[in-house]
Amino acid sequence: MTPVLEFLNVSRSFKKGTPVLDGVSFSVGEGEVVGLLGRNGAGKTTLIHIAMGLLSPHGGAVRVFGVSPLDDPVSVKRRVGFVSEEQVLPPRSTVAELIAFHRYLFERWDDALERQLMDRFGLSGRDRILRLSKGQARQVALLCAVCHRPELLLLDEPAGGLDPVARREFLETSIQLLNREGTAILFSSHHMSDVERIGGRVVLLDQGKVRIDRDLDRLREDICVAMIPRASAPDPAALERLPGCLRVRPVFDDWHVVFEGDPGNGIRCVRVPLEELFIELVGGER
Amino acid sequence: MQVAVNPSDELPIYRQIMRQVVEGIAGGGLKPGEKLPSHRDLSEQIVVAPLTVKKAYDELEALGFIETQRGRGTYVCAALPKVDRDGQMERLRQDARKLLSQAYLAGLRLPEIVELVRSANRELTKKEEA
Repeated sequence: MTPVLEFLNVSRSFKKGTPVLDGVSFSVGEGEVVGLLGRNGAGKTTLIHIAMGLLSPHGGAVRVFGVSPLDDPVSVKRRVGFVSEEQVLPPRSTVAELIAFHRYLFERWDDALERQLMDRFGLSGRDRILRLSKGQARQVALLCAVCHRPELLLLDEPAGGLDPVARREFLETSIQLLNREGTAILFSSHHMSDVERIGGRVVLLDQGKVRIDRDLDRLREDICVAMIPRASAPDPAALERLPGCLRVRPVFDDWHVVFEGDPGNGIRCVRVPLEELFIELVGGER
Repeated sequence: MQVAVNPSDELPIYRQIMRQVVEGIAGGGLKPGEKLPSHRDLSEQIVVAPLTVKKAYDELEALGFIETQRGRGTYVCAALPKVDRDGQMERLRQDARKLLSQAYLAGLRLPEIVELVRSANRELTKKEEA
């Protein structure tokens, strides 16, 4: 089965010599949900822009439904929906005008889904975009991104800057879409609790490379964190040599050691929520 | 069926769902033969990906707690799985020792620990009726 989206050894830099993406490879299967995590500057937005064909990779290739989004931009965009935190909607047009424009662009437009989302979000077609709250504007963007029933949704920080209620509504709508359409989703987010809810697989980018690519539940069950006093283990290299050790990081008087599987050796290793795991894997030294 | 998930719990979400269904069955809130919401309905109700709920249901089915009747829905099994009583007793004895040592370290006495178990039992058996 051809993956819906495939990154093959993708590299890209903006300044010479400092790659934002450095050999990124992973794929998203049909109906799969993949959460793209990483610190600010890790390359998440660049990667999503490359998938949309808004940027070209300097090395490697990207395939959307098996074709390059640069070679065949129209056919690819017809089957993809895109929402981003930075998306700018035309401020002076009304919601109805913006939707009419999208309906005109896409042959396949689901009027029933459009009406249903308008009701659900409590939007009025007469409202001007500039009068909408940030949350409402993002809801309009989501509506425009899904009513042509895309097979792949690319969401770049879709809930960034939204209040908890608006974020939850966004999440509820995404989950209903998953239930009804089985759309494949690649989404970047800093909200680990949202990532846990929407589930699926997690890809963690760190300094332009894929650090972790794993099923969320397996990640939560397989990886654990041990705190070892630095006084009792003066040599971090010895810890790094322990089987399954993924990272050693000094935090005040302790080493925080991330293990894959049970480290044995009488080391107490605890399972932690995704947010803690994220910090342990990519957080700085203290 | 009342299910609440907490993303910052140490258990992954599918395990939290499994635990609550098993607790519901153990506490009598979920009766044998009772129908469960479909995994899609529950997924929208608790705002969790449908595949996560499906995974919890699949595991519960493999363990013999629930069964899916094609085209009809998912039900609590009429005959619940037989547990290996001796093995289970041994595990429970170990858990009891762990509970006791933690409680003694917290300065509790045996009657207080017994009361703690009673109150946990009240929560387990009446939660579903509320």
